[in-house]
Amino acid sequence: MQMTEREKKFGELLERLRPRCEEIIAQYERKRSALLPLMHLFQEHEGFVSSQAMYAAAEMLELTPAEVEGVASFYTLLYRRPVGKYMLQVCRGLACTINGGENIMAYFREKLGVAHLQTTDDGLFSYEEVECLAACDRATCMEVNLEFVYDLTPQKVDAMLDAMRAGTYAVAPMAQTEKPERTWSIAQDLDIAAGGKSAGARGVPKPDNAGGVGDASGIIMLDNIINRNVPFFRQTGERAVVDSRAVVETIDEEAARAGH
Amino acid sequence: MKRLPVPVTKVLTAGIGELDMRGIDAYRERGGYRQWERTLRELQPVDVLKIAEASGLRGRGGAGFPTGRKWSFLPSDKNPRYLVCNCDEAEPGTFKDHMLLEETPHLVLEGMLIGAYGIASHHAFIYIRGEFKRGYEIFCNALEEARKAGYVGNNILGGGYDLEITVHRGAGAYICGEETALLNSLEGKRGEPRLKPPFPAVEGLYQKPTIVNNVETLAYLVPILERGAQWFASVGTERSKGYKIVSVSGHVRKPGNYEVALGTTVREIIDLAGGLRPGRTFLAVQPGGGSSACIFEEHLDWPYDYESMTKAGSMLGSGAFVVFDDTSDFVKAAYNLVRFFAHESCGQCTPCREGGSWMERVLERLVQHRGIPGDYEMLLRISGSITGLNLCPLGDSIEPFLKSVMQRFPEQFKSRIVTEAAQPA
Repeated sequence: MQMTEREKKFGELLERLRPRCEEIIAQYERKRSALLPLMHLFQEHEGFVSSQAMYAAAEMLELTPAEVEGVASFYTLLYRRPVGKYMLQVCRGLACTINGGENIMAYFREKLGVAHLQTTDDGLFSYEEVECLAACDRATCMEVNLEFVYDLTPQKVDAMLDAMRAGTYAVAPMAQTEKPERTWSIAQDLDIAAGGKSAGARGVPKPDNAGGVGDASGIIMLDNIINRNVPFFRQTGERAVVDSRAVVETIDEEAARAGH
Repeated sequence: MKRLPVPVTKVLTAGIGELDMRGIDAYRERGGYRQWERTLRELQPVDVLKIAEASGLRGRGGAGFPTGRKWSFLPSDKNPRYLVCNCDEAEPGTFKDHMLLEETPHLVLEGMLIGAYGIASHHAFIYIRGEFKRGYEIFCNALEEARKAGYVGNNILGGGYDLEITVHRGAGAYICGEETALLNSLEGKRGEPRLKPPFPAVEGLYQKPTIVNNVETLAYLVPILERGAQWFASVGTERSKGYKIVSVSGHVRKPGNYEVALGTTVREIIDLAGGLRPGRTFLAVQPGGGSSACIFEEHLDWPYDYESMTKAGSMLGSGAFVVFDDTSDFVKAAYNLVRFFAHESCGQCTPCREGGSWMERVLERLVQHRGIPGDYEMLLRISGSITGLNLCPLGDSIEPFLKSVMQRFPEQFKSRIVTEAAQPA
């Protein structure tokens, strides 16, 4: 497969941002401290933290890509895969919940037709229910692309979504350099692939859950990781599309040849 | 019974909601940066430390540790040393630092400058919660203004003192409010707490001596320098001195930040926030953030201070004050908080990581009225066996609220347990 438009342009973006990156790095006594600021910077321009951005940061900070990925994946505000132009993060904290937050969340889900951690098909909205946003005196609150909106009502939600669709909303849309998929969360993605329930986390395991009892060879898990665009299996250049079953068979054959 | 109105003294909150104090000119018109100028002109770092100690100021972030004593743990012969202002406010129910950062950024900055001088540091950091993007921008503007005015940088106001300030944005992780996790995050690592000791004062950022202080704590240094340690120490109770911003939310008519003298009663704080909604009765208040146990009717006339809250079986914490009336569903509330801690666990310690998510599952089925016989006892047993077995206080924060409401309102939990035969398919 060909490189995406975004991937082709990454080198250019990197050269443009490099002076700013160097400025950021110079603020700290140790380079590694610049990791989160660099992730924020790339996300601002690409709409998410791409594999290339992580590789570039690794190079600038003299880290391994695995170290960068290990940090980036810890923080919920760093999106490792494309998201909608409007990130709608509604507070599910206790103070909001006891003041009508549940109704607002249900209203959002119904209006958008998506669940927690999902993006609408048109790529416009990503929806997430987030932990306490520290604005409990103005419940229910939310953030739109990290700008606060307070005292939510269904009417306010309607007006907000309409304005966003019309391109007239007060908060600017985020950069979007790639079309988002159903979700940007890897955990959620594995959940969807496994029929809405992940093996360990909830409910009775289904036999075909990724990594579950019916997936003893790990084919479903492997397929999820390789073909569902989990970062680092798609570096620069061609995107890997691998027949997971063939991989397992090859491993089996090699094992057989080696006499195991 | 008619009660007298509670006297409100606005110290840090003076002018907030009435004036725009974001610009440096507006701040200086109100006496801003005079204490920083005076500090540089008249005081040695040790004088600032003595004033902080004499004022009785205690950490306003949650732990309530005496600020001056914390500073005194710095080894005197080790340099460089750092000050880190903790603005990663994320304790459920707390929204005071968010307000200070956005409404009066120069006060926060002046507090940081004085604090950094007090520990003789030449590089201070402020770690701002990732969600506070607006606050981050406001603070960066304030810092630029202060730099232009000569309050930050090299040879400040010609007095020969150098102090650099770096603004650092988090990226969404409650645990980074814990000071050692914050330091790891500031070093570009995952926000995983460190084993203590060594404490940050001895080995903190980049293994150098570091003091981590909350926004509100540092901001109080400014009025303390202005009006004197005695002024601050004369207010409050025996061991809880001065003022505190209380973030009141939940079932009250006028939720908001209220600055009160420590020792103001719980009832008075509820009254300040407009009291309960008409026709409702009081059931409980969670007085110190998501990590604290509830207190009840019998505590309404207790003073709101560090010791009394501890004695009541809870804590003052960050000053988050969530009020519950008789419409409250404590099973849902407990589920909400346990889910929060399970979600925010960094995953280093097994009791917290595994215990939290298992309890979330049990509470989820209770919320759905399909609890299994034994769930009530199991919740108490699991939460009890998480406490005390973790690197940081996050795991220990799961039990207090849950246990307090389970013991007080057991019927709310037990009524959602159904026999096996009655379980939905």
